[in-house]
Amino acid sequence: MTHTGHCLCGQVRFTAEAEPVGARICWCRDCQYIASGSGTVNVLFPEEAVRYEGEVGTFRMTADNGNTVERGFCTGCGAQMYSRTVEPKGLPMRIRAGTLDDPELMAPTAIIWTESAPSWATLDPGLPHFPKGPQ
Amino acid sequence: MTAYTGRCACGQVTLAMAGEPVLTRQCWCRQCRQVAGGGPANNAALRTEDVAIAGQLASHAYLAASGNTLTQWFCPSCGVHLTAQSSARPHLLTVRFGAIDEPHGLKPDTAIWTDEAPEWAVIDAEMAQFPQQPPAPPPVSAD
Repeated sequence: MTHTGHCLCGQVRFTAEAEPVGARICWCRDCQYIASGSGTVNVLFPEEAVRYEGEVGTFRMTADNGNTVERGFCTGCGAQMYSRTVEPKGLPMRIRAGTLDDPELMAPTAIIWTESAPSWATLDPGLPHFPKGPQ
Repeated sequence: MTAYTGRCACGQVTLAMAGEPVLTRQCWCRQCRQVAGGGPANNAALRTEDVAIAGQLASHAYLAASGNTLTQWFCPSCGVHLTAQSSARPHLLTVRFGAIDEPHGLKPDTAIWTDEAPEWAVIDAEMAQFPQQPPAPPPVSAD
């Protein structure tokens, strides 16, 4: 099944020709910049199944786990679209759940980088928590 | 006096905030979740004149469900959202929590648009909650 999504202004659109392989909330400090102080909510897809159209701005950085990651955003509205790992290769692409046409396609199944969550964060006690990245 | 400082992820834009926020909120509306990675946006509203911004900003404006036009400013280099303003309240400027340097000690005290929160959302029961737009904040004194 094809899953679709877009940014707030509609300039960037995407399709994912695969089923999600996971979903999780990430509270690393870098994600909190992106998520207006929340954790990012990510639905994971095989990278080769995802196609973006429109003008996507990218920002590369070294993540807290040492990987080189690229964050994609709409240059028109600044909506955060995805994160993908440039190095090492082969990791699933993290599509920001808010950009999916069905943002509840898959509920989070884990919470990661909880050690950098703010004291006021409400972390679902029913989900597995990881102080850093997933094992 | 600078009470808080902030920046985007790449550091191109920096913020200096004088004084305390007038209010803090966590917004679960669909548009905030579309921009903010899927979770709610956490915002501190300050008096507009208390926020100094350095660096280049891009902006996007849309008609919000409240009926007001919301303008959002973000860094064109890294896409991080820094500030927003409602056409109904030009005297206030909202600063995104993620862009405020830690430790800042602020926390959202009210959750709004909880009607649009996803089923998996866990909202702090100690926060005041509004299913949609809350009543307008009180006027800000000119002192």
